[in-house]
Amino acid sequence: MNSNATVFVVDDDSAMRNSLKWLIETVGIRVETFASAEEFIKSYYPGRAGCLLLDVRMPGMSGLELQEYFVRENIHIPVIIITGHGDVPMSVRAMKAGAVDFIEKPFNDEQLLESIRSALEIDQDQRSIQAERAEIAARLAQLTPREHEVMEMVTNGKANKEIASALGVSAKTVEAHRARVMEKMEASSLAGLVKMVIAANLYSDH
Amino acid sequence: MPLPLKRPQKLSLLRRIPMPLMSIMIGLFCGLVVWGMLDQVQPRALRSIFAEEMKTRLDQQARETLIRFDNYVLAHTSTARLLANHRQLANYLEPVYWFKGDKDQPRQYRSTPPWLPGSTLWQSLIRPSHILLLDSDGRTREIYQLGERPLPVELAGTNELPLSERRVQANLTSLGDRPYLLVSETAEDATGTEMGFLMLVAPIDEQFLAASQQGVSSNGVLVGILEADEQRFLASSDQSRLPPQRRLSEVEADFLVTAQSFSEYEGSTLNLQFATLVPHSVVEAIRDRVASLERRQRLVAAFTFVSVFTLVFFLLSERLNKILQRISRFSQRALGSKQPVIERGNQLFVLEDWIHQFIQLVKDTREEMRQQHESEMHESEMLKQAIMETALDSIITIDRQGVIIEFNPTAEQTFGHHRQEALGKVFADLIFNDESRPQFNRLMADVLSSRDRHPDEMRHELTAIKRGGGVFPVELAIKPIRLKNRLAFTIYMHDISNRRRIELEIRSLAKFASESPSPILRVNRRGVILYANNASDQLLSYWGCERAQTLPLYWRNRVTEILANGRDWQTQVIGATQVYSLLLTPVVDLGYVNIYGRDITAEREAERQAREHQQELIHVSRLSTMGEMATGLAHELNQPLSAIANYANGSVRRLQSSGRESEDILYALGQITAQADRAGEIIKRLRALVGKQTPVRRIADINDVVREVCSFVEFEARKAGVVIEQDFSISSLPVKIDVVQIEQVLLNLIRNALDALLEIPEDERNLVIQTRCQDGERVLLRVLDTGPGIQDKDMSRLFEPFYTTKESGMGMGLIISRTIIEDHNGTITAEQRAAGGTCFSIVLPSNRNRDEQ
Repeated sequence: MNSNATVFVVDDDSAMRNSLKWLIETVGIRVETFASAEEFIKSYYPGRAGCLLLDVRMPGMSGLELQEYFVRENIHIPVIIITGHGDVPMSVRAMKAGAVDFIEKPFNDEQLLESIRSALEIDQDQRSIQAERAEIAARLAQLTPREHEVMEMVTNGKANKEIASALGVSAKTVEAHRARVMEKMEASSLAGLVKMVIAANLYSDH
Repeated sequence: MPLPLKRPQKLSLLRRIPMPLMSIMIGLFCGLVVWGMLDQVQPRALRSIFAEEMKTRLDQQARETLIRFDNYVLAHTSTARLLANHRQLANYLEPVYWFKGDKDQPRQYRSTPPWLPGSTLWQSLIRPSHILLLDSDGRTREIYQLGERPLPVELAGTNELPLSERRVQANLTSLGDRPYLLVSETAEDATGTEMGFLMLVAPIDEQFLAASQQGVSSNGVLVGILEADEQRFLASSDQSRLPPQRRLSEVEADFLVTAQSFSEYEGSTLNLQFATLVPHSVVEAIRDRVASLERRQRLVAAFTFVSVFTLVFFLLSERLNKILQRISRFSQRALGSKQPVIERGNQLFVLEDWIHQFIQLVKDTREEMRQQHESEMHESEMLKQAIMETALDSIITIDRQGVIIEFNPTAEQTFGHHRQEALGKVFADLIFNDESRPQFNRLMADVLSSRDRHPDEMRHELTAIKRGGGVFPVELAIKPIRLKNRLAFTIYMHDISNRRRIELEIRSLAKFASESPSPILRVNRRGVILYANNASDQLLSYWGCERAQTLPLYWRNRVTEILANGRDWQTQVIGATQVYSLLLTPVVDLGYVNIYGRDITAEREAERQAREHQQELIHVSRLSTMGEMATGLAHELNQPLSAIANYANGSVRRLQSSGRESEDILYALGQITAQADRAGEIIKRLRALVGKQTPVRRIADINDVVREVCSFVEFEARKAGVVIEQDFSISSLPVKIDVVQIEQVLLNLIRNALDALLEIPEDERNLVIQTRCQDGERVLLRVLDTGPGIQDKDMSRLFEPFYTTKESGMGMGLIISRTIIEDHNGTITAEQRAAGGTCFSIVLPSNRNRDEQ
């Protein structure tokens, strides 16, 4: 677990906020509390690791509206919804909107902490994938346009000869390009290269 | 009675003048008029005739002078021919030969040359100035000069006269600005050889022209040669009166000029014209002569007119005098006229006066007689007219043939025919249709055959038609009238369609009661059922009696009471299947009681259902309120309970991790957590208990829902003096809702609004419910009131549980409403209206175009 990860608690009830902070800090996770969604948006920036503990029903911006905001702003922080008894339909909607979990008040501490842990893991996974994608992107950026072309054809399963005739160069030149691509992409094998390209395409499609 | 004669004063003078004198005066006057008229007309006519005559005369004269001129020229050509062919010339030319190239001057002669015969032969005819011999080239070889006039230089050498022609030619030309006549003729020698020409040269001057006219010219008529291009004279027959070179315009003041062209002398190089000049003085003299002749004639005509006219008038007046004398005698004797006939003065006027008097006399007498007769006629006519016009019946008189001869105004009204149209038509054709016409004809036959009849027998009912084809029944009576020399019938007709209709109406009114679906009965004083319609069967079976039987005792007593106090009585009867409302009404005069029943079973059922529905709503509302209260409680209590549990759990964990465990404290903290959980469980169970009713969703038009709710609160609203204004969207607004829940929300909002409105004066209370379609996907419902509104501090806490500004309120209404609306995926908001008051808006997803939300 990333020690930098923080649990952001957003609840309009101060007793609730503080008790949650009291509880979560017992397992050594950093907790920051906010009285409203607006307050949270003001201090949060997307780079921060962590998860969000959100009361769905609040005056001002509601939990659901905050989720909509995340979608608009392309923020991928995992959200756990805290809900009262009467708000089951609303919790369902929150889940549909991309919340990772929801917890009914009053809650079991184990269940809550477990939920937080898994949310933080999700966050970390997302971050590492993002980091990997960024790394691949950086490597891809080193390629010359011709190398890029060669790489795409190679990963599409074209033989060197085919590539040479398509590009109007000799097979030897293609071979040289290919070697440079493997080197720049730090790929040990063709399979590794293909994986990288797929990963890059996948995330950029996202 | 002769009226005093009034004659215009102006004529009094005329009246005194005797007829003969007047006739002379008139004759003179007419003569003068004739003179004047002729004076105006005749000279003008004469002038035009004279001008025309003058023109022809002048033309003629001009032609004559020209002919004379032509003849004179002809004399020259003849002479030329004579001289050219004369033996003496031929002999002379025999030995002569003219070299073409020599430069010899022409030989001049002042006396008769050897090539001419003796001058006596030709000089009496013509007077040329020179006679020339020309060779065949046109060069002058020999010249004979007759007078002092020198030969024009143009003729001294070769001249360009048209020599090719082999005949005598007369040629008018201008040489040295003087007109000349040149006549040439071929000259041959004795052997017949052509040598050249002989040419006569004659200047056209005063002598020439005078000679051409040979003294014929009289009255100072002149002839002249006119240069047409320059309009000036080259020569004239009298140089003293018309010197050469005068312009035509100068001359025209003194002469009438007629110019003619010389068509015969084609060779002329000049545009010369022959002019005849007649002095104006000559023309004037002729004109004066004609005018004096004409005046004389006119005088004769006027004089003749005056004398004939005067004579005729004189004879006429003599005749009139005689007639007047006779008339005066006649009038004195026959008419006893007191007015003496005027003996003196103008007989014509006297006669006129007398005739006037006479006519007046006759007129007066006749007028007197006529007035007397008329007044008698008028009275009888008025009487008859009054009867005809005011008669309520149609009165139509027909003659023996059935033709209408009188048609009164009532008939006009009844049948729609105008009197003028009806007169002259056949009565039976006009008034009856094919069906009733034979009936009428039969009637007529009856009337004709039987002389005396009882009046009643003559009344009949027939069907008549009016203009436009409308058919209606009439009652009709025929009365024959025997006039002096013919037979007529007066027909009295009466439109009885009203009577028929009233009869029908009475009959149909009688059916009213029997047709009624509600029971109608009539009982008499003793409670016997006199009448009961078909719908009364149920009631009768309830009472256990039949028609014509008496009512049960209780009801008999009621009937007696009602008749005694004369007031209506209302009651209800619950039968086996039906419920009736009964109204008993006394008809005191006749001693009856009318019973009107009304089947109110359906109404009762509807009332019961409405009551049930309301009770259900109240129940549901109560339950729901409890449920929401529980929800609110749960939510509110959950917060502290959760906090307690969190703190306790956190404390346990901290104690455990610090290692400073204290068993008893851990136990206590565990208990705190457990108890908090228990409290949470209790709340959960409570909520589950009240919230078990599952919502029933169905598609409903929000407009219908609002209407329904408005009917619930109508009473309350009326009590508050508020009329709920329903401002609905025109189209239906389908939403998938739990109708009871939404009704509850609406009820809640409307009641809140009504409560708010109670705080302001009654005339300012206004409550509007609006429904609208939003973007086609949502339904907007708004409750707008004009109440005092919501204060800002309250606005933010409006939807908090247990928050209320009402003394008796629980503070759950709006939170419940919000829960319900959010349950329906809708929103509810409140806002302050700009104009004052509150506006609650509910937005629900529309069910239009979708099956499932």
